[in-house]
Amino acid sequence: MKRFLALRLALLLPTLAGVLLVTFLLLYVAPGDPVQAMVGERADAATIARLRAELRLDDPLPLQFVRYAGGVVQGDLGRSYITGRPIVRDLIERFPATLRLAGAAMLFATLVGVSMGVYGAWRPGSAIDRATALIAYAGVSFPVYWVGLLLILVFAVQLRWLPPSGSGGISYLVLPAITLGMRSIAFLSRMTRAAMQEVLRSDFIRTARAKGLGEPRVVLRHALRNALLPVVTVLGLDFGSYLTGSILTETIFSWPGVGRYVLTAIEKRDLPAVQGSILFLSLVFVVVNLLTDLVYAKVDPRVAYE
Amino acid sequence: MRRLLFRVPALSSVLGAAILAGCGGGEGSSAGGATLQYYLTADPQTLDPALSTDVQSGEVVTTLFDNLTQFDVDGKLVPGLATRWEADSTGGVYTFHLRLDATFPGGRKVTAADSRASILRALAPGSRGGRQWPLLPIRGAADYAAGKAKDVAGIRVPDDSTIVFTLEEPLNIFPKFLAMPVAAVVPTPTPADFAQHPVGSGPWKFVSWSHDDAIVLARNEHWWGGAPKSDSLRIRIIPEALTQAAEYESGRLSIVEIPFSETRRWEADHASEIQRRPTIRDLYIALNTTRGPLRDVRVRRALNMGVDVKTMLSTVMSDRGVRAAGTIPPGIAGYDSTRAPYRYDPDSARKLLAAAGYGAGFPVKLWRSQRPELARLAQSVQQDLGRIGVKVEIVERDAPTVRAAVRNGEADLYLGDWYADYPDAENFTYPLFYSKNKGPGGNYAFLADPVLDSMILRLRTTTDEAEKSALARAVDARVFDAAPWIFLWFPIDMWAARPGLEGWRIPAVFTAQRWTEARLTK
Repeated sequence: MKRFLALRLALLLPTLAGVLLVTFLLLYVAPGDPVQAMVGERADAATIARLRAELRLDDPLPLQFVRYAGGVVQGDLGRSYITGRPIVRDLIERFPATLRLAGAAMLFATLVGVSMGVYGAWRPGSAIDRATALIAYAGVSFPVYWVGLLLILVFAVQLRWLPPSGSGGISYLVLPAITLGMRSIAFLSRMTRAAMQEVLRSDFIRTARAKGLGEPRVVLRHALRNALLPVVTVLGLDFGSYLTGSILTETIFSWPGVGRYVLTAIEKRDLPAVQGSILFLSLVFVVVNLLTDLVYAKVDPRVAYE
Repeated sequence: MRRLLFRVPALSSVLGAAILAGCGGGEGSSAGGATLQYYLTADPQTLDPALSTDVQSGEVVTTLFDNLTQFDVDGKLVPGLATRWEADSTGGVYTFHLRLDATFPGGRKVTAADSRASILRALAPGSRGGRQWPLLPIRGAADYAAGKAKDVAGIRVPDDSTIVFTLEEPLNIFPKFLAMPVAAVVPTPTPADFAQHPVGSGPWKFVSWSHDDAIVLARNEHWWGGAPKSDSLRIRIIPEALTQAAEYESGRLSIVEIPFSETRRWEADHASEIQRRPTIRDLYIALNTTRGPLRDVRVRRALNMGVDVKTMLSTVMSDRGVRAAGTIPPGIAGYDSTRAPYRYDPDSARKLLAAAGYGAGFPVKLWRSQRPELARLAQSVQQDLGRIGVKVEIVERDAPTVRAAVRNGEADLYLGDWYADYPDAENFTYPLFYSKNKGPGGNYAFLADPVLDSMILRLRTTTDEAEKSALARAVDARVFDAAPWIFLWFPIDMWAARPGLEGWRIPAVFTAQRWTEARLTK
């Protein structure tokens, strides 16, 4: 187990170094110039030249990379070209909002998705099973912005139960969390259903029923526990991708998270902000995957030895 | 397996706790009459006037700070910190007389020395300010900004209430330049973290700024112009147009801009709440006059005649625009309502093309950014020009890519718009068509006409208002004739304001709304 952990941690560094290099080069070849965004709609050549010099954009590329990488190693992601704020501060300010939204979406998706899957496996072919299958397919098929706007129209504008957008109390979290969690519900419910069906056919379930245990106890205590492994996998992967920002959901719901930060940075060619956030998000993603693997290895020792 | 089972509930309770922890201090619905609810479509880049280059920063800076001059809601230049000003007979020296009752929070008086220090601060080498041009006409300002001088020679402060500017050359719009965010007066020395916690003498005081979420301002009881009529102004950051509409319709925004595509619905559902204002803004297609067939003025005129602007305006934009026959918008001295736009006439257009040697047509690339309302316009243009043999390929990219291509002169055609920084004919001629402003300066048509250049320069320097109007009219006519653009229209802005909102009107330019008169009566 220790060896497994050490190996995974050691792999983390080259992964992040690769991300660093690739984003740096990609941004360099991408068309568009940060200085042009800084000066706005009307500019003079002198100002543009002065800013290029102040930002040291005319230095040779390898030198720029070394300088940047040097900062990163010391935990300094630099300052935004556009706002002048330290990027680490920007990310720390926004990440809690993203975490909150991702957490709420996963909680919602897990509760609904797993329940739907369990019921579907327990009573396959029933009306509820077919309805949940339909909901699951809809969840994957409808685009996020469509679902989001529909929810806003119904629950905020028509019924006025919830605020349409913004951040604040828990009521602000409901609609974006549902919107974001929709896709996971679909996967989770199908995954749970398949795993449960297999478990429900096993001998120990038959034994449990033969002993005269009630159905809720059989299904929830005995079967569900054994069907959860694949569910954890989906959960880990989805949680990772939610944490790395959900640009559409955050935009529709004016949610002040990391996804919008990245989007704005890209739109303005704010190179240090884009690089810094991609690096940060890669780190988050890798760490979440690592944690999922660790949970996995703990559960199933064979994983650690592979 | 057993170990995992205990972990799953544990995981979800951790998540649950994290969610609840992050949700303290909810604000609930703040529909109270004392708080005005406004929004911006993007987080301001900064609240430091010296660094402000974007519209969003400018809008907020205008509420927090005072300038020597300012625009009223109709875009008229009115006294700010300066109660009056005069130019000498050459138009190259301006004297501003400051009021003595303006104070920064804490009670310190705003003086002429503060104005000077603010300008030096905005020009300082290494300041990273991207928008110094309104200050560069001051004598010695460019040298100071480049680090070649220790002071700006052209600013003199004889006493607390007088500041004198000597310019490099006469410039009649200089007082309007001083109303722009970069010329705002800030306290010296500026407090720490100024861009995040700005302090000014303006009608509103800064309270908080949660990035990508909301900015909260409170009224400045001591503002020299009289405290604003509402207690506070909350400015949300809401990027998505349909979300803005939903916020308004659920009563959580005081005003909302109506997207062009939604015009008819709002006219039907919210007729009594709607306000309109013809904007000081051009929607146009720049024709790069240095590329291929576009070098020929006959070709450019043919393109103007080949686009059915009237139909496009009514079908795509719900008639929210005034057709353009030139570049100077209505409401600006120099606008000529008698000049007729190019007539839609595909047959004559084809003949003109044939006369220019392009009877067989030619291909061009039309660049546009991803703004949704531009998509259908570009398609209409493509269809119309196809009928006269001009094969248009639409190049759609994100804004920085389009900007780079257009400024580098790589785009044949560019569909975009031009917003006024200050309402003046100069703003629609000098940046857009003066030959030295090719590319980044705003001259995306790369027009270079020595006669036009000298007329535009004269327009900037004359001290005679009547001569200036006549010149503006003549410049506009010459531009129309040279057809460096396909002239489309001057858009009409449309906003909805909540019933009960008084004292708010659509501002003529982005720095013209200070929210001092606005209040909610129910």
